[in-house]
Amino acid sequence: MRKKKIAGRIIYHILVCGFGLLMIYPLIWMVMSSFKETSTIFTTAGSLIPEDFQLDNYANGWKGFAGISFGVFFRNSLFISVAATIGTAASSAIAAFGFARCRFRGRRILFMAMLVSMMLPAQVLMIPQYLWYQKLGWIGTYVPLIVPYFFAIQGFFVYLMTNFIEGIPRDLDEAAKIDGCSYWGIFVNIILPLMKPALVTGGIFSFMWRWDDFLSALLYVNKSSKYPVSLALKLFCDPGSSSDYGAMFAMATLSILPAVCIFIFFQKYLVEGISTSGLKG
Amino acid sequence: MRKVLAMLLIGSVFCGMMAGCGSSERAGDEQSASGTKGTDTEESGSEEGSTGGETNLTFAWWGNQTRNEMTQGAIDLYVSENPGVTIDGQFAEFNDYWNKMATSSAGHTLPDIIQMDYGYIEQYANNDLLLDLTPYIEDGTLNVSDIDEKNLNVGKVGDGIYGICLTVSPPALTYNKTLLDENGITVKNNMSMEEFFDVCREVYEKTGYKTNISYGNDVYLTYLLRANDEVLYEKGKLGVKSPESLQKYFEIYELGLEEGWLLDPGVFAERTLGSMEQDAMVYGNSPETMSWCSFIWANQLSAIQNAAPEGMELDMVTYPSPDPEKCNFLKPSQLFCVTVDSKNSEEAVKFIDFLVNSQECNEILLCERGILTNTKMGEAIIPKLSDADKKAIEFTNNVIIPTSSQVNPAPPEGSSEVSSLIGKMIERGCYQEISAEDAAQEIFDQGNEIMAANADK
Amino acid sequence: MAKTKRTIGHSLLTKESSAGVLFTLPFTVGFLMFMIVPMGISLYYSFCEYNILSEPKFIGLDNFIKMFTDDAIYMTSLKVTFFFAFVSVPIRLVFALIVALILLRTTKVTGFYRAAYYLPSIIGGSVAVAILWKRMFAIDGVVNALLGKIGIETSFSWLGDKRTAIWVLILLSVWQFGSSMLIFLSALKQIPSNLYESARVDGAGKIAQFFKITLPLLTPTIFFNLVMQMINGFLAFTQSMIITQGKPLNSTLFYAVYVYQQSFEFYNTGYGAAMAWVMLALIGAVTGILFATKKFWVYEGGL
Repeated sequence: MRKKKIAGRIIYHILVCGFGLLMIYPLIWMVMSSFKETSTIFTTAGSLIPEDFQLDNYANGWKGFAGISFGVFFRNSLFISVAATIGTAASSAIAAFGFARCRFRGRRILFMAMLVSMMLPAQVLMIPQYLWYQKLGWIGTYVPLIVPYFFAIQGFFVYLMTNFIEGIPRDLDEAAKIDGCSYWGIFVNIILPLMKPALVTGGIFSFMWRWDDFLSALLYVNKSSKYPVSLALKLFCDPGSSSDYGAMFAMATLSILPAVCIFIFFQKYLVEGISTSGLKG
Repeated sequence: MRKVLAMLLIGSVFCGMMAGCGSSERAGDEQSASGTKGTDTEESGSEEGSTGGETNLTFAWWGNQTRNEMTQGAIDLYVSENPGVTIDGQFAEFNDYWNKMATSSAGHTLPDIIQMDYGYIEQYANNDLLLDLTPYIEDGTLNVSDIDEKNLNVGKVGDGIYGICLTVSPPALTYNKTLLDENGITVKNNMSMEEFFDVCREVYEKTGYKTNISYGNDVYLTYLLRANDEVLYEKGKLGVKSPESLQKYFEIYELGLEEGWLLDPGVFAERTLGSMEQDAMVYGNSPETMSWCSFIWANQLSAIQNAAPEGMELDMVTYPSPDPEKCNFLKPSQLFCVTVDSKNSEEAVKFIDFLVNSQECNEILLCERGILTNTKMGEAIIPKLSDADKKAIEFTNNVIIPTSSQVNPAPPEGSSEVSSLIGKMIERGCYQEISAEDAAQEIFDQGNEIMAANADK
Repeated sequence: MAKTKRTIGHSLLTKESSAGVLFTLPFTVGFLMFMIVPMGISLYYSFCEYNILSEPKFIGLDNFIKMFTDDAIYMTSLKVTFFFAFVSVPIRLVFALIVALILLRTTKVTGFYRAAYYLPSIIGGSVAVAILWKRMFAIDGVVNALLGKIGIETSFSWLGDKRTAIWVLILLSVWQFGSSMLIFLSALKQIPSNLYESARVDGAGKIAQFFKITLPLLTPTIFFNLVMQMINGFLAFTQSMIITQGKPLNSTLFYAVYVYQQSFEFYNTGYGAAMAWVMLALIGAVTGILFATKKFWVYEGGL
């Protein structure tokens, strides 16, 4: 019996590892390519290991553009992504609680509005949004990249958290209600602590998506020294002239590190199920 | 702990909301924090305020790391020579750049100085987004005396000069010299079509390398049409009299397919079209997925040579054509314009004058954008150039300029859509999904329709 | 003063209806402030001839008429998109669910496994993925090399053939299943473990537990993922834009890519807006149908 269990465990790990390797092969390829000499990246695309392991691409890439190093771009990205993520998580959690736990007039319409707001391609809203933000006097600042996220503008997160809250047993609220607890009290004392997995999931997505978003930065940021990483990465390629793929891969490798770190750090909260953390609190 | 979390949550939402409500005022401050205090907070994008004797200009261009570095170098030089002027450089990747420009034009927040592509100037000028530079040329603020008349006129739309063409570049058939030399195959300038086909056949027979004929774009078609005095894009219609001349072009692909020397279209699905690094001439593992030549521009030689594997030497000749004198031309590779949104147009023009006439500036910029139109500057920087650039200049001066005509007028609105249509027809032709005759007919019909629809906008 | 304020606030928050309004206020304000206006403007554009550079000109329904009567490419892109959405979304979800179940088990290295399986989603739509993906399916790429090793010598061009190119994109989309997987994971962890314990006492095996407990309790999450991925599937853009640009022969021309081309490459921005609004109606209809089926298979009751 025990032997069987151990054997099963070994098979499990081999399978998960093997398949996982397949999953991250492209990533390994990218990291390895970042150590190759730029001119050999395409000619040796078939082989993983660089013939001549070197760090030039990192030095070259970090140098950035026109005297602005990648350190600046990273700082900008971090600021934008963290601020927008805090806004998204906070406002979405509050709105989601309203959707999940309260019946009120207009709920259905609001919910539909939320879904509909996700159904237009971002590219179509580009110009109208630009014109509107211009009226508000926001062009040339980070405001359009951050402030809207404090208003739960991304329906995805509201829906995600609504869905999660609906999965939390209502008996808990009912008990609190009988004790004279207001909805705010229920939200803060009962739901919020139980929502950690949803907050973490949402936070990871939001951070990643803000980090990758270059379109709004392209439109609203007017100074090169304010560019985020996502926009700066694209500057290595120039159709019709030379592109520095080596430097691009090097910086792309660095640029996924924050998201990876955040994921590894926070993923343990994902497993905090209701049965382990919630009921006792 | 819970309380703290809750306070944080609600606090952050409120902060965000406050920031939102109060930001119309704040935004103005942030913008102008860069240089000067802007007085009007409502006018967004007005980073260029000029108070207290300080002028702030914005200058946008597209390009790669090298160009960004060089251009910033030129800006720094200008700023150090002109106290009281600051210039913000904005750079982006080509497609991003045009999206940003289009969006900014909708909001009338274009930068003061923009780098312009020949394909867009007509649209931008016709929609009153660019400043006519004629008065500045007349009063001497902008000195263009060292630019050849032909090259100055490419910036002309209607009666005004809306862009200054700093650099030009001729079309050039680059080829894998190493491969051809090894097999004793020769190519020469001003080949006739038949001579070119013979080379394609010979290369294919001896080496297995195939030929890529301007796949997916309209460059070579435009070039060949010039032989019959036809301009592909005219205002409101196609400049071809009948589908026949288009058909002749598509028959080249048919011939190549029939004889086997045409590169398989599947190869291009695996590439980013237009990328020098992924051009079939330099990238690929076997002759059947590679081409011995590439239809590009002379100033791209240095980029494609950089991308070529070690030991592959490249060289160039003119595109094959029935009439080189009529077909050859110099394409403006980039123009510089001042926009109507500029509040300091005079200062912006002065900066363009600096780009055109300052030797120190051009010693920084070199030939990165193309071959200089300012002949005096062109001479002056030669000693500083790379071998590939020198080759391109020699080719331009000795081969193209003696036998060439004026470039086609800037393509009018609608041309980008027709160009995409032509690309798709070439694709269908290469996949043998359509005959040359039908492809030509379809381009003729649809193309005329598109151009007409765009003309009455 | 402060006290009365507090009691008013308190009573507002005790009544269910007013509490609901207050809690959803951030979203309501945000929607009114940041979405309604831009959406309204783009709806207006859809009835206009608009090239961005000059003012929009009202032309009524012309854009919509052109779409359905005079644009073969439009119909192609519609078909391609429907195919992509209906094929890739189910595969992706099943895959995500299976992986989530596998990675549910907590061992010392689970964190790294999860990270590894989530990584493809982190690198997202970067240029690196585009280049690599093209290399893998190239005529002389990794896939054909592997096929050669198992005895199938081929120089098939996966991206160059109009029958297979779309599948390469579907595969890419399935490969990036990370976000659905994370959502499944957190939902799986939400299922109280005492349910499993009592089932075990009743003698239910692993498989029975899965079908009797896990799956029913997971249906709300499956539904959520289905709706979200459907919307994303219809609006898919990046895969096609960075890898194929619709090649070959428009066989991978996603709707959103065509909208983008019309809007920003051909400057038919009004036409692009009209197409986007038609897509909105279509997605709305599909979502509506999904919601209508909800009561038949989604577990609604609390625990």
